[in-house]
This record gives sequence, structure tokens and C-alpha cells, in this order.
Amino acid sequence: MIGEKNYYFNLFQVDTQILDRLISEGLRSGGSYCDLYFENTTYGSLLLRDGAVTSGGSHIDFGVGIRVLSGEKTGYAYSESTSWADMAASARAAAQIASTPSEVSPYGTRNPSRGEPNPAADRYPIEQQWRGIPMKTFLPFLQQIEADVKKRESRARKVIVSLAFQVSDILMYNSQKELKWDTRPMGSISVSVVYEQNGQRENKATSRSFRMGAEMLTPALATELAAEVTSGIDERFAARRPKGGQMPVVMGAGASGILLHEAMGHAFEADFNRKGTSIFADKMGCQICPKGIQIIDDGTIPLNRGSLNFDDEGIPGQKTYMVEDGVLTSYLHDRISAAHYGVKPTGNGRRESFRYAPIPRMRATYMESGPARTEDLIASVDKGIYVDEFSNGQVQIGEGDFTFYVKSGFLIEGGRLTMPVKDINIIGNGPAALADMRGVAGDLQIDPGAWTCGKEQSVPVSCGIPTVLIGSLTVGGE
Amino acid sequence: MENKRLTEILTAEEISLAQHCLDFARKEGADGVRITLSKSLMNLIGLLNGEVDKTAHALDRSMQLQLFVDGIFGTFSSNSLEREGLEAFIKEAIGTVRMLEADSCRTLPAPERLVKNARDGKELELYDDTIELLSAQKRRELALSSMAWPRKDALEKGFRLIAEEGEYSDSVFDSLTLDSQGLYARHTETSFEIGYETTVEDSAGNHLSSYWWDASPLLKDLKLESCAETALRRAAAQIGTQSVPGGKYTLVVDSECASKLLTPVLNALGGFALQQKNSFLLDSLGKKLFPEYLTITDRPLTKGQTGCRLFDSEGVATADMPIIENGVIKTYFLNTYIANKMEVPPTIEDATRVVVQPVGECNTLEDVLAQIGDGILVTGFNGGNSNPATGNFSYGIEGFLIKNGRREHPVREMLITGDFLTLWNNLRLAARDARPCMSKLIPTLAFDKVDVSA
Repeated sequence: MIGEKNYYFNLFQVDTQILDRLISEGLRSGGSYCDLYFENTTYGSLLLRDGAVTSGGSHIDFGVGIRVLSGEKTGYAYSESTSWADMAASARAAAQIASTPSEVSPYGTRNPSRGEPNPAADRYPIEQQWRGIPMKTFLPFLQQIEADVKKRESRARKVIVSLAFQVSDILMYNSQKELKWDTRPMGSISVSVVYEQNGQRENKATSRSFRMGAEMLTPALATELAAEVTSGIDERFAARRPKGGQMPVVMGAGASGILLHEAMGHAFEADFNRKGTSIFADKMGCQICPKGIQIIDDGTIPLNRGSLNFDDEGIPGQKTYMVEDGVLTSYLHDRISAAHYGVKPTGNGRRESFRYAPIPRMRATYMESGPARTEDLIASVDKGIYVDEFSNGQVQIGEGDFTFYVKSGFLIEGGRLTMPVKDINIIGNGPAALADMRGVAGDLQIDPGAWTCGKEQSVPVSCGIPTVLIGSLTVGGE
Repeated sequence: MENKRLTEILTAEEISLAQHCLDFARKEGADGVRITLSKSLMNLIGLLNGEVDKTAHALDRSMQLQLFVDGIFGTFSSNSLEREGLEAFIKEAIGTVRMLEADSCRTLPAPERLVKNARDGKELELYDDTIELLSAQKRRELALSSMAWPRKDALEKGFRLIAEEGEYSDSVFDSLTLDSQGLYARHTETSFEIGYETTVEDSAGNHLSSYWWDASPLLKDLKLESCAETALRRAAAQIGTQSVPGGKYTLVVDSECASKLLTPVLNALGGFALQQKNSFLLDSLGKKLFPEYLTITDRPLTKGQTGCRLFDSEGVATADMPIIENGVIKTYFLNTYIANKMEVPPTIEDATRVVVQPVGECNTLEDVLAQIGDGILVTGFNGGNSNPATGNFSYGIEGFLIKNGRREHPVREMLITGDFLTLWNNLRLAARDARPCMSKLIPTLAFDKVDVSA
């Protein structure tokens, strides 16, 4: 939500004169660029456990981050108060970086401008504010989910429902005199259930997270979450771990987008490429996967967890094609890497909070639908695995080796889904997996879960994919 | 800040403010209050390919309030430590707590369990006053002195050094926890850290990366000189990776990454997992579930060592104690709330400085390799996870194939799969080489019969 400028000026007790003075302090040692990132975030949380909402709270985080660039070198400091003395001290600390000379100026610093206009589209209008609503308003939503879970599944022994929300007021200003402001909401619900059957226990969890106000807490969403967390429990108890080894893997639509995030997305973040560490560092313009494949990182999907009106450097949110028709066409840039490569920033400069300098990060990463049919992809596999629920993943940027942990899936035998499987790690190599995509179905889904990326800092992201067949990955097993 | 002595990081004024907030919350209707005031100061210098690439200076303050109001509980925090604003915040917080549901298990700890000897925060000798005199120039010199990049040409042997990223940082952390029963618990420590991530390119153009790090509460104990070269050596050692067939192997896990296999066991002994029946060690207290020769203890009171502390987040005094003794589970980790819910006596919130006692006669990684003869040495994990309810795990690994006690060649893109009870019952050796920079003192471990997929 984009509010009125004066709201942010009053909140942070600044005006354009103070902002300009602070920029001057930051550049006092000769830095080539300086930016300011003011943040006021309110967090709220409620936890239902053992049948009652007995825990909750709220938290306030307020401050300003000051970044000074000297070429590609970064000086960073922050202040938790916006009194002039505290902010100026932080600016002077950040300014020290300029004592080291540098050769390359970051994007745009040679040609100061009045900046980009505010985007016409507001990607997360807030219908019902989180702030100011009594917490008790939200209790029935949590209670409905728990009651619904217990009604649907007699094996449910423990149910935890948590609601977390935050609203961040952001004001950004830089030495190009670009002034941007934004208010970013986020609401997240997670449901975790422990089931018991004949002395055996299993767990299942699900979540939803959107850049929305409190209007997201509808009875329909509660029902949807309860239905999802109680589905497939028979299979969960029946599931076994398969015999491990290399085999074809069919990645189900939606959450399998973790494959793109880990196997490709990180390697496309331009800081890794600028430093020469990424396995894709010299692959720009090269065919890296079969023709017909488009891979996108998108900050423009309305209400999506990864969407941004502006990134954390004040660059407008945008949709970036990283792979077009199988060819690597763009990295994900912040201002520093964009200057290094001589291109425009892509709106991927993101940070966890005012305590961190921005770096290139993903937003919502997904692959466009392809021409295949899901059932045909499964039918084409004689012996392999189908996976559709995940918990975490990671990648080694230099080697390109990625992994993700599979909570549930099925063996594929003779072209049919057979035995349910669970709790296995899958490992592969990014470039090899990209090149080995045998088919892409037409069922793209963006997963609505609460994905968080932990590269140096935690930022909310999203991922999606249509059903995809990869020729060979290494599957953990016994 | 250069060349000026810092005062103790929490000022008398800030401590007085915390006490005022506690009194104010009581006056506004809270039956019980716990307040933790914390402050930290961190300076960081980032290095990239032989030059300073980044500097950061961070001063953080926060006040956390835990409020017990009419049998209801809530947690609140703010980093805006202005008296009037905090009073308004506390008033609103108490109103919010009253909207939640009551829970009779939410109580402050029994007063006799609270720490009594954490008055000035420095009792465990974790504070190095050297930090007070570190100038920006000195920090830069320390950081630059740690690089391997200036010796690049001499170090490149059969590979090219592509990128060397390093970070030197030092910090002071100071916290004070007060409660409405008279708790006064202060903890002050310094930390000095160095870390490197290095990427090399082999003759075929493959990129191989690795890392190394060290940390200490005392600057004199920080191993600055060897860190970058160790990261480089670890990256270069991966050149020549070959695949090996899957099967059952003896697995040696070096002390840098062995905590990956113990942490889920400790988590399964945690009260939250137990109370929610989301633990594979449910109903295990007093049972012998591990081999006779396995003993794991908690040593939170060792002076001058990373991670030690006199009290947990409730202010309850820590103590040295066995976790697993001769294979028998001796304790759960239960804070006051969880213990009340489980209707058992509380212990301590979680483990602090975990020590795995040696198994067999071996001191170092090389001793272990010599004893096992053939197997796989794990030097890093690549992703994976475990199921807390069943203890099943599956992790990506990288390391070396071991033949006759020697590293045959590097391996990667492999997975290990199993369950923790079986794994730890197949523990064959535990060396004496735990890294002192870690809060969990876990040495090189060797396990028999581990399923490896490749």
C-alpha cells in the first residue's frame, strides 16, 4: 500500500532538508553514492496450542539503515533512533568505506536524476488494517481451524495453529534525490498436526502467506487449511523410503518450484556472478535448458509474498525473465551488480530489515507452463519418483549442487503412481538438471506457502512450477 | 569510537529504565513480569579478493517483556527505548494479553531456581576488554592480515583461485534479565570471528567452493592466520571428484560438521517436542536407548569458553549435568511452562555447552581414519532434514572415499539416509578433536553401516 508522503515524514520525524543533510554526512569522505532506508515494522502473533490461544504478542522495530558506496564497496551502519545525532553518527560510520578508492560507480550515480515515478499499480492494497484491530478479533479464525482439523481426522493428537502478521512502513531516499515510500503488509498462517495411529506418529504441516491485510482471514481459508493438513494421512502412515539411487523425478506442480529456487535462482543472483563464484558466471546468452522453457522472477504478482511495489533500493518492482526459450537472458540485479554488468537494476535489491544492506534476492520464481500433460509425464517413467511436498532446500553456488527435502511423494512404477514415499533428500546439479528437463506440463501453480529464503538474511519469497519431468536426480533411500 | 574507552555497554540509565518498566507493568495490572534488556555493538569488515569490500557498524538495543496477567501470558518487545513510549506500549500490551485465553501453566520459575551469581555479567570470563581499544584502523589491519589472496600465486597449484570472500567481526553483547520476583541476571560477552569462503577453478573449468571459520570470546585465541588458507585447502581438495556406488559404508563425520547428527537428538529431548508428541524420544527418560559407551554431558559453567552461560532465558541457574550417560537418557530439557503442562519437575530450557565423551582410542581425525580403514569421510552436509516424530533423516553429503585409512578421492552428490537411533547405536569411534569455537563440543565421529545413495 502506498500512503501519503507526509505520513512517512511524520513517522520518521524527517523532511527533505534533513534527508539531504544526512546524505551529505554519508558522502563526507568521498563516497560515490549514499542511500537511506527508514523502517517502522509492527509484528503481531497468536499461537493456538492444546486447544486454546494462550500465547501472543507484538513487537516493534524502528530504525534507519545508511549505506555508502564507493564504487562496488559498501559501508553500512544503522541507527535505531531518528534523532539527528544518532543518524549522523551512523552516516559517519558508513562513510569510512570511502577511504578505500574504487574504480566503478554504481548504476546511475554519474547522472543524478529526479528518479522514477511511483508505480501506478499498488500490488498489495490493504482492505482491513492489521494494526489497531484488537487481537481477540482473530481468535475465532484459529479456533475454527483446530475444530475443523479434529472433526476431519480422529487421529489428530496435537494441533498448533499460528498467525503472524507484520506491517512495514518504508521510506527510501538516495543521493540521486530519489524519494520512495511504501507500506508492506504480510499475513502468515501455519497449521501443524501430529497424528497417531497404532502407536506410530506422523506429522504434517501447511501454511499460507500473502501480502494482505486482515481481510485474508476468511472462513473459506480456514476450511482450506484444515482440509489440506488432514489430507493424505493414510499415505503418510503407509509411506516408506524407497531404494535410493539415480532415477527420473516428476516434480508436481506448485511447491516443486523449490527446484527453480535452489537449482537455478540463486545461481542467477548477480552478486554470485559478479564475484565469479556462480556456476553460471560465464553463461549469459547460452542455451542452458531445452527450447521452449521460460524461467521468471517476478515482483509484480498481486498480493504475492514476494511482490514489491519497490525493492529495498527504491527500484520499481518488475518481472524479470531469467531464461527465455531456454537461453539465459538476465541475472537478478541490485544497483551494484547492475553497474558492474552495465545493465539496469531488475528490482531484486532486497534486505531483511534496516539492519542489513540490500543484496540481489529472488521474489516469486517460477517457470511458465509447457505443452505436455501431467499424466503423460508420469506415464513416460518406468521406474522413478513423483514428489509434491517439501520442507527445505539449499545449493552450493560454485559447484551448482542443490538439494531439497521431500516430505511426501510416490514411487512411479510402470508409468503409474504406486507406493507412497516420505522423508527423503534429493540431490542434483543445477546446470545438469536444467539441461535434463524432459517435459513441462501446462499446469503452472504458484505455491501459496510461507517460503523464506535465508541467503545471509531472511526475506519472504514465493515459488511455482508446472509439473516437470527431470531425467535423472539422485534420490536418498535405503 | 576510535581510541575511546567504552563504558559498560548497558548504562545505569538503561538499567533503571528496565526496572521502571517492570514496576510500571505491575502497577498496570500484571501479576508477573520478566524483562530482558539487551544491547549489542558489532563492527564488521568484509574482504573480497584482497581488498576491503564492506564495512558495517551496528548498535542494537531491545527490551523484551513477558507479561503474566490474570493467568494469561504474552510476549512483547520494542527497540524504541524512550520512557513515555514504553509506558504506552506496556499499557497496550497488557490490554492485548487480556484478550487471550488463560493458561494456568504459565508461571514464573520458582524463586529458588533462579540464578544468584550473575551480577556483573562477567563471571564466566567471556568478556575481553581488548575490544574497548580496537580502532577502525586496527580492525582493518586484523582483517587484512588474515587473507590468503596476497599469496595467490604461490598458493595456486593445479588450480586457479577465483574468489576469496572473508569477514572479520567483533562484537559486545550485554543483557540483563529482571523479573517481578527479584531476579537480576546479567550476561556480558565479547566475540571475535573470522570466516572465509573460497572458490577455485580446476583445469577443466569446474568451480569448487569451501569455507572455514573460527570464533572466540577472546581476541588472543582467534585463529586469524590459518582461516583463509584452510578454506582454500578445503576447496582445492575437492578437485578430482569421482562417484562411488551406493551401499552401506562406515561413515566418518569430521568435527566441523558432526553437530548435524547430534542436534536432532537434543531437539527430541526438548520439552516442546515432547509435550507436542513430536519427538522420536518420547517416554525415553531413564531408558537405555544408546550404546553403553555413549556419554554426553552439558557443561555450561566452563569459564572463558564459547557458549557458556550461568542462566537460561527464564533466569534459571544452569548446572553441569549428564544428558546421556552410558547410553541411558538422563534428562529432558523442560522450562517452567512445559514442565507444568507435562506435570513433571522443570529442568533447564535447553542444552548449553554439549560435550561428547571420547569413544575408543583416537585423538584426531587421522587416527579415526586409520582405525576404520575403508569408508566415507564427510566434511560437509548439503541440505537434507529429519522427521522429529520418527527420527528418520536424509542428508546430502560431500567428502572423500577412504581406502586403507587414506583419502582416495573426493566425492559429492551423495546422500545418507537412516534413523537416528540406529545411527547412534552404530557409533564406533568418537575422537578428542572437538572445535572449541563451537558451543557443542562434538569431535570426529565414526558410524558403521550407514546407507549411502549415489
